[in-house]
Amino acid sequence: MLRVEGLTRRFGDHLALDDVTFDVVPGRMTGFVGANGAGKTTTMRIILGVLAATAGQVRWQGEPLTQEVRRDFGYMPEERGLYPKMKIRDQLVFFGRLHGLSAERALERTEKLLERLGLAERANDVLETLSLGNQQRVQIAAALVHEPIALVLDEPFSGLDPLAVDAMVDLLREEVTPEVPVLFSSHQLDLVERLCDDLVVLSRGKVVAAGAVAELAAGPTTTYRLMVDGDAGWLRDMPGIQVRDVAGGTALFDVLDGAVEQRILHEALSRGPVREFGPERVALSDVFREATR
Amino acid sequence: MNSLDRPWVLIAEREITTKLRDKTFIGSTLVMLLIVIAAVLIPAVLAGKGGPDKIAVIDDSGVKVVQQASTTAGGDGFEATRVADRAAAEKAVTEGDVKAALLPGTDGYVVLGKDRVDSSLEGALREAAAAVGTEANAAKAGLSPAELHAGTKVSLELLTPGPLPDVVSDFVNIGLALVFYMTALGFGMMIAQSVVQEKESRVVEILAAAVPIRSLLWGKVLGNTVLALSQIVLIAGVSLIGLLATDQADILEVVAPVAGWFVVFFVLGFVALAGLWAVAGSLATRQEDLGSTTLPGQMILMIPFFFSVFAGSSAKTVASFVPIASSMSMPGRMLTEDVPLWQPLVAIALLLATTVLIVRMGARLYERTLLQTGRRLGYREALALKTS
Repeated sequence: MLRVEGLTRRFGDHLALDDVTFDVVPGRMTGFVGANGAGKTTTMRIILGVLAATAGQVRWQGEPLTQEVRRDFGYMPEERGLYPKMKIRDQLVFFGRLHGLSAERALERTEKLLERLGLAERANDVLETLSLGNQQRVQIAAALVHEPIALVLDEPFSGLDPLAVDAMVDLLREEVTPEVPVLFSSHQLDLVERLCDDLVVLSRGKVVAAGAVAELAAGPTTTYRLMVDGDAGWLRDMPGIQVRDVAGGTALFDVLDGAVEQRILHEALSRGPVREFGPERVALSDVFREATR
Repeated sequence: MNSLDRPWVLIAEREITTKLRDKTFIGSTLVMLLIVIAAVLIPAVLAGKGGPDKIAVIDDSGVKVVQQASTTAGGDGFEATRVADRAAAEKAVTEGDVKAALLPGTDGYVVLGKDRVDSSLEGALREAAAAVGTEANAAKAGLSPAELHAGTKVSLELLTPGPLPDVVSDFVNIGLALVFYMTALGFGMMIAQSVVQEKESRVVEILAAAVPIRSLLWGKVLGNTVLALSQIVLIAGVSLIGLLATDQADILEVVAPVAGWFVVFFVLGFVALAGLWAVAGSLATRQEDLGSTTLPGQMILMIPFFFSVFAGSSAKTVASFVPIASSMSMPGRMLTEDVPLWQPLVAIALLLATTVLIVRMGARLYERTLLQTGRRLGYREALALKTS
């Protein structure tokens, strides 16, 4: 398990990270969200040792993370970068070996990933001649080539079309074994909701929400939504509920105790046709907005 | 998995293979080789060293005189060409097949030339004819050649011998300094550029996450030192072949003992500068910044270069001890003067200490500045930085 513990980082007077603590659990994808400047990239760079923490530490399997262990991590930085004038095969082999693979193994992995990404016939092309989308694929391959024990991806899908995102997600699912913790930051919340098991929300350098996406976004709710023909103003007189909002035939209300929502439904049906009735699920974007307010 | 323990080997390897595929690098190396070949061949052609001078003779005594002249000149200066008679000899001289003809005269020999005869050629033949004739006469009188020449040998002794003539030694000094200057400057700029490229393309962040930043620096310095030294060895090899092919091999006897010293001075000076150039690259954030960040490196090279080229001999002696400047002037001095052994040793010790110092400081600056991609930094600013 990868654990970030009390990370604090100052840039001069600016407190970029303030006592950030969270876990990235193996075999689960952890989404890392937050507004621009919230500290996501700073956190990730500290995890990879590219930046030093002012206080706090990163732990791996309970021990402080060392340079040796870190070399087996896979990293995709926010600011993309590979050698523009190097052939993509040579490039991936180089990064594989840099992370400790033998030359043969690095080549084997490179061929497999290029095949998988549909770039096999471009293997001898220089990176800068590829389209941006394809360069992004090579960048992901560079993070995966050495079969990393943990993955840290900073905005891995930004700038990709939905099809490319799907292809990339399939690749990740295929490549990442159940022992590998994955942390990825994104501002595409729908994507995070679809892909992630866990979520860490960061706001102005602080963790404001953390936990399983299912619990945070779609947990048991007491808020219901009703839509009827005619006016729904009668709801205000019903006992056991708290009306949040009524607008014509549409109403939002909280159930204060047990099975009272069934009584409301009966009442509504007796008054006319019911177009819609059900628990109101909270979208992740609401969690996010709520948490970062 | 050995690259795990020595990531700098991998970095150096990438540095070398990238350069070897770079058309500009290959092109400039070829141009340099052509210049060297020209520099070796043109003097040989101008000096007319196309083999021994041919002298036409018509009898055995003529052959003997020409052989004697050749021996005196030390080797194969002249070659006798047998012709049938005086008419044939005149024809050969007129048509330029031979430099001159040596014919029997009324009392000795006649040297036959076309419009003029080279004075050194005439002198050599005159001396040889006299020697051969005197020896023959002495033999008739019962003296052996050894008895005849006893007590007449003159040998030369110099109080302050210089291994090479003045003009030649100036050329050698400037040439050696130029080789170091050009190589250090050329490769220096390449090192700085390759560092900035990694910063510009942000690949540096992946590199820094995978291996210690120091290994990145070592790898770059090692790779480029190997390349620079190979380039010099290649050039030396080509000029060696050229010298052998044009019978100028005698220069080697003078150069060979100093070659080892040159390599030591070169490698130490180059490594020190390479560290500095890498820092120049890591201070910049874009290629355009290099002009200002490489300025100190250029100065460190340029000032000693012009000093070692234009300074007087006592100033040159001082310069040959000053680190970096010594890489440019000490090998040249050793080639053209008699330098006591302690001098290069002291110069090397000073240079080594400086190299260690520069490389250490360079490594620290490099670690601090490599990941600063915001803006160009100054040297003083970088020294004040704490590790990120």
